[in-house]
Amino acid sequence: MPDWKSEILERLRGSRLSPERESEILDELSSHLQDRYDELCASGLSQSEARRNVVAELDFTDLVSELQTTEVAPHEPVPQGAPRTGHFFSDFLMDLRYAARTLRKSPGFAAVAILTLALGIGANAAVFTVINSLILNPLPVDRISTLVALNTTQRKQAAQLGDLQLLSIPNFRDLRNRTNSFASFAAHSNPTAVTIIDKDEPHRAFMELVTANYFATLGLHPALGRFFLPDEDATPGMAPVAVLGYSAWQNRFGGRADVVGQSIRLNNVPFTIIGVGPKDFKGLYAVFGPDLWVPFTMARQFLSPQQQDALTDRSIPLVTGIARLRDGNSFAQVQAEMKIASASLDNEFPDSNSGQSLVVRHLTEAAYGPERQGVVWVSMLLAAIVGIVLLIACSNVANLLLARAAARRQEIAVRMALGAGRARLVRQLLTESVTVSFFSGILGFLFGYGGCQLLSSLRPAEYAQNLAELRIGPVVFGFTFIVAILTGLIFGIVPALRTSRTSVSEVIKEETRTAGRRRGRFSIANILLGAQVAGSLVLLVIAAIFLHSIQQEYTIDPGYQTKYLAIFMLYPGQAGYDQPRTEQFYKQVRERISSVPGISSLSWASNMPLWGRKETGLLLEGQEQRKKSDAISAVVNTVDLDYFSTLGVSFVAGRDFSQDDRDGSTSVAIINDTMAAQYWPNQNALGRRLQLPQGKNSLQVVGIVKASNYQTLGESPQPCVFIPLRQNFSDGMILYVRSEQDANTILAGVRDEIHRIDPALAIEDIRTGTKIIDQALWWGKIAVNLLSVFGFLAVGLASVGLYGIMAYSVNQRRREIGVRMALGANQETVWFLILRQGMTIVLGGLAAGVTIALLVGRALSRFLYGVKGTDYFSLAGASLTLLLVALIACYLPARSASRVDPLVALRDT
Amino acid sequence: MPLAADLEWKKGSAELLVLSLLEGQPRHGYEIARLIDLRSGGSIRFHAASLYPLLYRLEKRDWIQGRWLEKANQRRRRYYRLTTQGECVLAEKRRQWQEFAGAVARIAGVQHA
Repeated sequence: MPDWKSEILERLRGSRLSPERESEILDELSSHLQDRYDELCASGLSQSEARRNVVAELDFTDLVSELQTTEVAPHEPVPQGAPRTGHFFSDFLMDLRYAARTLRKSPGFAAVAILTLALGIGANAAVFTVINSLILNPLPVDRISTLVALNTTQRKQAAQLGDLQLLSIPNFRDLRNRTNSFASFAAHSNPTAVTIIDKDEPHRAFMELVTANYFATLGLHPALGRFFLPDEDATPGMAPVAVLGYSAWQNRFGGRADVVGQSIRLNNVPFTIIGVGPKDFKGLYAVFGPDLWVPFTMARQFLSPQQQDALTDRSIPLVTGIARLRDGNSFAQVQAEMKIASASLDNEFPDSNSGQSLVVRHLTEAAYGPERQGVVWVSMLLAAIVGIVLLIACSNVANLLLARAAARRQEIAVRMALGAGRARLVRQLLTESVTVSFFSGILGFLFGYGGCQLLSSLRPAEYAQNLAELRIGPVVFGFTFIVAILTGLIFGIVPALRTSRTSVSEVIKEETRTAGRRRGRFSIANILLGAQVAGSLVLLVIAAIFLHSIQQEYTIDPGYQTKYLAIFMLYPGQAGYDQPRTEQFYKQVRERISSVPGISSLSWASNMPLWGRKETGLLLEGQEQRKKSDAISAVVNTVDLDYFSTLGVSFVAGRDFSQDDRDGSTSVAIINDTMAAQYWPNQNALGRRLQLPQGKNSLQVVGIVKASNYQTLGESPQPCVFIPLRQNFSDGMILYVRSEQDANTILAGVRDEIHRIDPALAIEDIRTGTKIIDQALWWGKIAVNLLSVFGFLAVGLASVGLYGIMAYSVNQRRREIGVRMALGANQETVWFLILRQGMTIVLGGLAAGVTIALLVGRALSRFLYGVKGTDYFSLAGASLTLLLVALIACYLPARSASRVDPLVALRDT
Repeated sequence: MPLAADLEWKKGSAELLVLSLLEGQPRHGYEIARLIDLRSGGSIRFHAASLYPLLYRLEKRDWIQGRWLEKANQRRRRYYRLTTQGECVLAEKRRQWQEFAGAVARIAGVQHA
C-alpha cells in the first residue's frame, strides 16, 4: 500500500496547524487517496499506473492556502489586527487536551511515570512537612519575627552561646521594670513534671509556670474559656487557676466544653481550669510542650524544697524571658539595652549576678534550645537526600520520555512538516510532561501525607501528646504543587529540546525500524542512567554508614548495667507528703520491694539515667576561689544506699555511703574519677572537701567511683558528685531496681507493690535500662530508618529505570540481534552483548558514586560514632547491593534478547 | 469527448453541489467526489486537492459538520452532514442559482431542460 501520508505531508509543508488538526487532515486525505487508488486498480490499471494517476491529481496549493486563512464567516466584518495563529491560552488548552489524549493512549507509560515521580515528590512533601513544622514555622504565634527570648549565660561563653541559663524571677522583674524596648515582656519556666488528679487516678503531666501576660505577649487566643487576668500573677499563692493545652484537653478531658470551671488537683493542690490553649500551640520549646500552664506566683506549689524561694531569691534560675519588640525598635537596639541592664544588675547584685550577661535571641532561634543545630542539620541532610531521590525519579522519567521520543519521531516530523515551529513543539511537549507531573503531585501529596502519619505514629507513646505535631496544611500543599510543576519542567526539558530537533526530511524518508539503529541517540539516556546509579549509591552508602554508626552506638557502655535495670519515677511530695512521711515512704518501699521475687537490689536516686542535672559554681578545696565566670560545674546526683551496686558502677577508691551517713554526722560526698583527676591531679582526692552551689555545708569526699554517661550516651567523661539521700532530703526520687532476670519480668510486681503502699501515688516513667538506651538513640534510629527508606527508594527507582531502558533498547535492537543470530551468534554471545551494554553504564555510575560517597562520607564523619566517613564496610555493602540489583535489571532484558528468534525478528520488522 | 466544465463555472457552483449532496444524508469526502463525477456523467470532477479545501471552508463557516465514524468492515472515515445554517444557505443558493440559470437561459436562448 503506497505511503500516502508522506506524499501529502510533502505538499502540506508550510501550513501552520495544530497537531490535532494536522493528523485529522492527514488521515482523511490519505483515506481518500487510498479509495481513489483502489478504484483505479479495480478499473484495470496496474498498481504503479494507479499510483502515478493519484499522485498526478495532487495539487494542494488551494488546500494549503485554505488551511492558512483564518476563515471568518462571510458577511461578518474582519476584525482589524486579529492574530493569524492561536492565542496563548487557547493553544495551552489545546495542548492540554492533546496531552491528556496522548497519556490515555499509553496508560502503561503514564502509570510508571506518574508513580515514579509521585514517590519522589511524596518523599519531598513529607520532609518538607517536617522542616516546615519544626524549623520554618515551629510556633503558631503572632508575628514571630518581633518576638525575642532572653536568657543569661556566663560572660566568658557569651560568644558561643554554649550554656544558656534561666533568669531568676527577681531579675526578670527588674528587667521588665527597667527596659523600654519591649511592647510586652513575659516569662515561662521549663516544663516541669506534676501529678494531676482529675478523677481518681493520679497521672504525671507537664506544667509550665508563666506570667499572666504570657499568652497576650505571644498574640494567642484561647480555644475555650480565657487566659490569665493581669492580677492573677500579682500575689503569691492566690490564684490557683490553670490553662489546659489543647492536646491535653482532647486526650485527657475528651475535648468536653464543660472543662472550663472544672476543678483538678495539681500536686494535691486544687486548681480551677479557666481555659484551653490554641490548637497547634505546645509551648515555646517547640519539640516538647507542657500539658498546662499556671501563673508563676503559684511556684511554691510545684518547686522542689531547694527552689522554694524562687520568687524572691535572685540566685534561683527559673524562667526564660519572652518579649515582643516595640514597633520601630531593632534587634540591635534591644541587645544594646540588655547589655546596659545586665551591667547594672551585675553592679547592684554582685553576689548572684556577677559574671553573667543577658543573651537575646530571636524566638525562632530559641525554639529548640541547644538541640536546634542538630534538628536543622538533620533536616537539611534529609532535604538533600529527598532532593536526590526526586532527581533520580526525574531522570528516570526523562529517560522514558527519550525512549518514547524515538518512537514519536514520525509524529513530530509530521507536525514540523505541517509548519509547527520548534518553540511551539517544545511547549506542547512540556505541557505533556507537566501534565504528568501534576498528577504525580496529587499522588505525591497523598504519599507525603501517609509518610507523615507514619512518622507521627513512631513518636514514643508516653510523650506523643507533648511532642510537636507535623502540620500538613496549605503551605505543604503549595510546596508540593510548585515542586510538581518544576519537576515536570526539569524532566521534560531535555527530551523536549531533543525531540523537537528532529529533522523532517530525514524522518519521513526513514522507516520506524531504523530508529533503534541510531544508538548515539541514547547517549543522554546513558548519562542520566549513570547519574542515577551514582546518586542512589551515594544515598545507600550514607544510610549504611549511619546504620553502622548507630549499631556502634548500641555497643557503647554507658558505664552501668542496663539489661537487668528498671526505674520508676515517684513524687511523694506531689501527693502531699511531708518530709517525715516521705522518708518513711522511701524506707517502706525499700523493705517491701526487696521482698518481691526476682529482685536482687534497689536504691533511690534523684537523676534519671542520661538526664543528669548539672550544677554550676562548686567550690573545691585546694582550688583557687574562682571568678564566677569560670565556675566549676558538675553533675549532681542525690542517691541512697546501694546505688552503685544496683547500677554496677565500681569504686576506684574509698567507700560507699553507709547507714551512718545521716543528718548530724559529717556531710559526705562521693565523686567520680574524672572529677578527681581534673581537680586533684596526682593527689589523693579522698578526704578533700567541696561545697555545692546551693549547699550550706562543705562535704567530705569519702569515695571515688568510675565515671559513667550522665547526660548523653557516649559523652566524654564529665565530673560528677554524689550526695547521700539521708543527708540531703528530696521529695521526688527515682526508684532503681536491679532484677535477677530480664527487667521486664518484674515491672508489674514492683508497680503493684507500690500501689499497695499508697494508691494515690502516681508512678510514671517506668522504664527498663534497655528502653532508656533505646530512647536515647530514638532520634538516631528514626533518622537511620528514613535514610534507609530513601536509599532503597533511590536504588529501586534507578533499577526500574535501568530495566526500562534496557528492555526498550533490546526491543529496538531485535532486528539487529536477529541478524547477528542468523549470522551465527549464539545465545551466550547475545546475552553477553546486552549485559555488557547495561553493566558498562552501571559500573561507570558506580565508580562516580563511590568517589562522591567517599567525599560526602568525609564531610559527615563528625556526626558518626565509632565509624569513619570512609567506612569501607558500608561502601562495599552498598556497592554490592546496587550491583546485584542492577545485574538483575540488566539480566532480564538480556535473557529476552538471547531468546529472540532470528526468523521472527527479521520477518516482523 | 466529454465536455469539461469550465473552471469558473465549477467554482461558482461547487458549494451548491456539495451542499445539495449532503442534504438529508451524511457522506464522506470520497463519496461526494464519486457522486459528483457519476451524476454529472463525468463532466464535473473533484479531486482531493480541490474538494477538501472546499469542505474545510464550508465546515469553518458552520454550514457543514464533519465527524469521524467507523462502520463495520470499513475504514474509519470522516462523514459530513448539513447543519441547520447549512440548510438555510442551501435553500438560498438554490434560489440564487435558479434565478441566475433562468436569466442566462432567457438571454442565451437556451431552453431549460
